[in-house]
Amino acid sequence: MLFSEVRGLPVVLPGRGGPIGRVTSLTVDVAAARVSHVRLRAGRFRRERVLPRDAVDTFGPGAVRAHSPAPPGQAPPRRDLLGHRILTDTGNEQGTVLDVAFDPATGRLLALFTSHGEVPPTRLLGLGDHALVVRAA
Amino acid sequence: MNELMTARSLTTRPVVTLGGDAVAHVKDTVCDAAATRITGFTLTGRGLPTGPLKEALPWSAVYSLGHDAVMVQGRRALVSAAAMTAHQQTVRARVLGARLLTEAGTEVGTVLDAVVEGGTGGRVVGFRVAASRGFAPGPTRHRRRVYVPRGGTVEVAGRTLVVSGEAVRHVADDLSGFGALVGGVPGGWRESLP
Repeated sequence: MLFSEVRGLPVVLPGRGGPIGRVTSLTVDVAAARVSHVRLRAGRFRRERVLPRDAVDTFGPGAVRAHSPAPPGQAPPRRDLLGHRILTDTGNEQGTVLDVAFDPATGRLLALFTSHGEVPPTRLLGLGDHALVVRAA
Repeated sequence: MNELMTARSLTTRPVVTLGGDAVAHVKDTVCDAAATRITGFTLTGRGLPTGPLKEALPWSAVYSLGHDAVMVQGRRALVSAAAMTAHQQTVRARVLGARLLTEAGTEVGTVLDAVVEGGTGGRVVGFRVAASRGFAPGPTRHRRRVYVPRGGTVEVAGRTLVVSGEAVRHVADDLSGFGALVGGVPGGWRESLP
């Protein structure tokens, strides 16, 4: 499944009637190369909420089904992978992230599609405020 | 051969950790007395209300000098700027504007910039020079800008740099031509560097 497909999907809880919000972005744990949190927003002017990926049962089709509401706790910094600049560890720019494929069952990243071609998730080194650093091929 | 770049183009290049965070921008390059290699960078902060930082980046902490960023392992790579610039001078102060002569006394021109090698080497491989009229005749209105290989040894006397006549026998007009020139220069000068 692609990050761009998940973005905008409604998040539903089993007990509630309507969705509790729509997915704004997915947070990635770069060291483990997997999706760690789902960020969602109930409305345009509402605060963003963070749901750990363990609380999510299934991604799609048509909705993200979770089994527990967002627990209060410290959220990881918001860093959207989509559109992020890519730097190799040698210090050269390699375009931006266009889309990311991940396994909806485990959250494992499968591939990054960049403006300079595909990058396997094993080459990821770090994600910061300036760039996503990947190991040079 | 790693990518060649001019020392002045390094100014404003971001210093990025392997974690992807930008910690500073390069203000100037620091080289050793004989202009052999880069020994570090002075830094400015990020964002608008910033001036020169009290920290500097020694070359030993640089992971790689790239086309778009200077990569470092982490924020701990920075050291005190006063300690680094106490015995060394920045490229701007040291070589820019210096006269370049050959051993035989021929004037080559005025140094405009130093050409350094990227990657992990950090060697100074040549100079960009506003050539004197006798060395490289050009149009009457302005002096020709040429890239001059550094050669094996450079003697520094005040604001004058002395290179061997053999090194400046071939010059290049642009940086890509200079890369081919430096990569193809015969002889052991590349090995003779420390």
